[in-house]
Amino acid sequence: MAFSLNYQKIDDILAKLSSDYDIYAPVRLVGEGKFSATDRIQYDKITRAEQIVYNEKSDFSPREIISPITQTLFYFTENEFIENLPESRSIIIFARPCDINAFKRLDKIFLENGDFADSYYKSRRDKVHFALLDCKGGWESCFCVSMGTNKTSDYSLAVNFNSKTVEIEVNDSSFNKYFNDIKQCSYQYNFVKKNKIEVELPEIRPEQIEKISDLQIWQEYGQRCKSCGSCTAVCPSCSCFTTRDISYKENKKAGERRRVWASCLHPDFTEMAGGHSYRETAAARIRFRTLHKIYDYKKRFDTVNMCVGCGRCTDTCTQLISFATLLNRLSQEIKKLSVLEEGVEYVSKSSSS
Amino acid sequence: MCQNQVAAKNHLKPIAYQVEQIIRQTAQEYIFRITCSEEVKPGQFYEISLPKVGEAPISVSSITANYLEFTIRKVGKLTNYTFQLKAGDTIFMRGPYGNNFPLEKFKGGNLIVLAGGTGFCAVNSLLEYYYQNYNQLKSLYFLTGFRNQASILYQNRLAAYQAKFTQTIYCLDEEVKAGFKQGFVTDYLKELPLNKLQDYYLVIVGPQPMMDAALKECKQLNLALEKIWFSLERRMSCGIGKCGHCKIGDKYVCVDGPVFNYSAIKNLID
Amino acid sequence: MEKKNIDIDVSKLTSNCFRQSKVKGECMLQMRVPGAVIKAEHLKYAVEIAEKWGNGDFHLGTRQTLSIPGIKYEDVSAVNKFLQSYIKGVEVDTCGVEMEVDSNGYATIGARNIMACIGNKHCLKANVNTTELARKLEKQIFPSPYHIKIGISGCPNDCAKGHFNDFGIIGLVKPEYDYERCIGCGKCVEACQGHATRVLTLTEDKKISKDSCCCVGCGECIVACPTGAWRRNPQEFYRVTIGGRAGKQYPRMGKMFLNFVTEEVLLKMLANWESFSADVLNHKPVYIHGGHLIDRAGYYNFKDKILAGVDLNPEAEVADHIYWAETEYRANIHVK
Repeated sequence: MAFSLNYQKIDDILAKLSSDYDIYAPVRLVGEGKFSATDRIQYDKITRAEQIVYNEKSDFSPREIISPITQTLFYFTENEFIENLPESRSIIIFARPCDINAFKRLDKIFLENGDFADSYYKSRRDKVHFALLDCKGGWESCFCVSMGTNKTSDYSLAVNFNSKTVEIEVNDSSFNKYFNDIKQCSYQYNFVKKNKIEVELPEIRPEQIEKISDLQIWQEYGQRCKSCGSCTAVCPSCSCFTTRDISYKENKKAGERRRVWASCLHPDFTEMAGGHSYRETAAARIRFRTLHKIYDYKKRFDTVNMCVGCGRCTDTCTQLISFATLLNRLSQEIKKLSVLEEGVEYVSKSSSS
Repeated sequence: MCQNQVAAKNHLKPIAYQVEQIIRQTAQEYIFRITCSEEVKPGQFYEISLPKVGEAPISVSSITANYLEFTIRKVGKLTNYTFQLKAGDTIFMRGPYGNNFPLEKFKGGNLIVLAGGTGFCAVNSLLEYYYQNYNQLKSLYFLTGFRNQASILYQNRLAAYQAKFTQTIYCLDEEVKAGFKQGFVTDYLKELPLNKLQDYYLVIVGPQPMMDAALKECKQLNLALEKIWFSLERRMSCGIGKCGHCKIGDKYVCVDGPVFNYSAIKNLID
Repeated sequence: MEKKNIDIDVSKLTSNCFRQSKVKGECMLQMRVPGAVIKAEHLKYAVEIAEKWGNGDFHLGTRQTLSIPGIKYEDVSAVNKFLQSYIKGVEVDTCGVEMEVDSNGYATIGARNIMACIGNKHCLKANVNTTELARKLEKQIFPSPYHIKIGISGCPNDCAKGHFNDFGIIGLVKPEYDYERCIGCGKCVEACQGHATRVLTLTEDKKISKDSCCCVGCGECIVACPTGAWRRNPQEFYRVTIGGRAGKQYPRMGKMFLNFVTEEVLLKMLANWESFSADVLNHKPVYIHGGHLIDRAGYYNFKDKILAGVDLNPEAEVADHIYWAETEYRANIHVK
């Protein structure tokens, strides 16, 4: 069922939903962007429709709602661990197909990998309902179609904001009650079918890894990359964290254990006690991140790739590295390897099939 | 929505144990004996967890019915704090984590264990297991090396192993001492009667440069690489496959390792 | 000396923005470009003047003017007539200067061209829109016969060299720290150490501590931060340096007068410059560097007069004293 509403009506519904859910959507922080006179768009709780930035891609992904950047796991007194696991309210997240698909990637890590579910992630993730935001055709740096993440069926609502009206498709009957007496319409969500850029994913055979890691392309990108880690901070499918303990200044005997997001682009990511690090160059770190996003994860879980093609890493990179271009170039280099060294004809396979 | 129903337990929550005894090994390495009767297999590790300090993965160096031992080297913030503990103190831990040495596979075979420096800590539980169950192997060759006299670990066990195992070779990198050969432990692999051993398994544990050198030596000696097991050490925050620090290629050292057969990691680049 | 029979009032020529040339009978036109940005179409005037009345050369003026050398004295009035639409286009239409533009060229050279870097329309480092500010100031200072040199920079790098102007204006930001968003990677600390004043440190808890005393407001921490833990405060601020100058006798770099003032405070303060100058100079607008004027009046007197009627914003700081430091090619200048 689909409904057409004006902004007054949608605000009434958001008010009703707010009593049952925490509602998160991309909002605009005017003038708070990285550069002067630019805005920042990131996720926050909303109560009114006009807060929702529906016609731009957010700078940061919605993952921070479920996996906060800084999260307190335990409080301690001298010799006691107290869990910080409050019951989460139900959550609605306004998100696009790429981001919803990214949550599936995070689920694999936080709920399945190592055969344990992460209680903190799970406590919030179990409460999530998605409201699908219309992509309005997408943006120049998107490559969701190449990654097969342009579609999803995991949504309760699908929403298309226009200047005066809002069209909503209800895909979950438990939400019907919020739409009594609302005018029906024939709206159906439009999944993006084609992006401005296409990414050809490399076909990698495990025994090629050593040769691939020796490719000159990593050195070249390593020269350009400043290891700032912005690409991992905006990524909806990055999941790494570091645990840190602190003691309170006022009472040294009490403190807390937190986890904070970590970045594989930062030089200390692999640093062991004593100082030894396994990936000391930016080149090695870019190679690691790239292969994780388009090879390792898929190989491990025998599933889709981790990268969802949202293009935020490209959007945020101050050194102007396009992840899509990097992937396309990598594919070409690997084709050359395959043809030259194995003597076999490279056969392209569609990644989105 | 996720359907996983395993979440009842918070796996990041450590449990309190009691420090039974602290035994000084070297100036830098102490053995912490912890009262614990959990079932642990040789090769596994625990996350040692000190409130307000942090957590670190430490391999179990000795397993008995009533206690576990961890041989801890003073190298970082957490291990420095650990050295302030006294017998009777509480210590928090999570575990045991990771896989273990393939005892079933080794059964009835000839086993060669090559340990460098603190790598000894990670294989000592394995050596103790065979010390108790020596009939499970045809023969056991144990080679270990330390930098100098001051860094020798498990002095009393070295003698016991020498008395029991088929052959032992102990060496020091930098100093001369009776009962120890001089040089790197990897140099002495070729002194073993490798051609006589039809069927053997090799366990290599130590600092990364030592393992790299050992692998090179194995290749030169034309050893069957698929019969080599390594135990890897990486930075970890969680120990349960979430934090991502220990990932190499498609493997997580914490859950897929720390014990890896060569064939599982030969195509992994750090 | 060329033997030419020339009779010209040089000071009138100068205040009309033509500079006397060593080549007898020739002068150089200096066209104002407030904030160093004009529409490309306005460049055509410079080209046409250079080709038609000049010697074909074109000089980028050291104060960011468009300068045309080799203009004959007899052509000055023709050039001025042609300049009318440039002056109207740039001064009136672009900067909103309230003045009648006639065919007699620039009315005064008193308030000099306002220099500026490209600012935040383009530059990654800039904290303010220097072009817009320059245009607002042009509206305020032009055409005043009193001498004033202003240089505006978008950030504390001061690429426009405001430190060597009577007034150096520098765009600042007050970064806001979001503790929860910080992952303790230390990238801001590195940036502050490398590019700025080293006011950031990584604490034992792997969060950031800041010694606000010496933050120069450059915003490097914001650009360096991967997670957006450093937020750009949308309120723009300015630093003002005073008394900078070049010169043969005792050049000196300007000193900080105001820190973290708003645009409103800045504009109101500078609106007092003309009356301050008139006061000190007995209403005779002679050419004198702003720094000398401040020296003549005394800093405390200057401070009172220039800040008269100005309500400072809460963040604003004002220099109690100024300790000048000249390069004294002529010694003992402060001994009278």
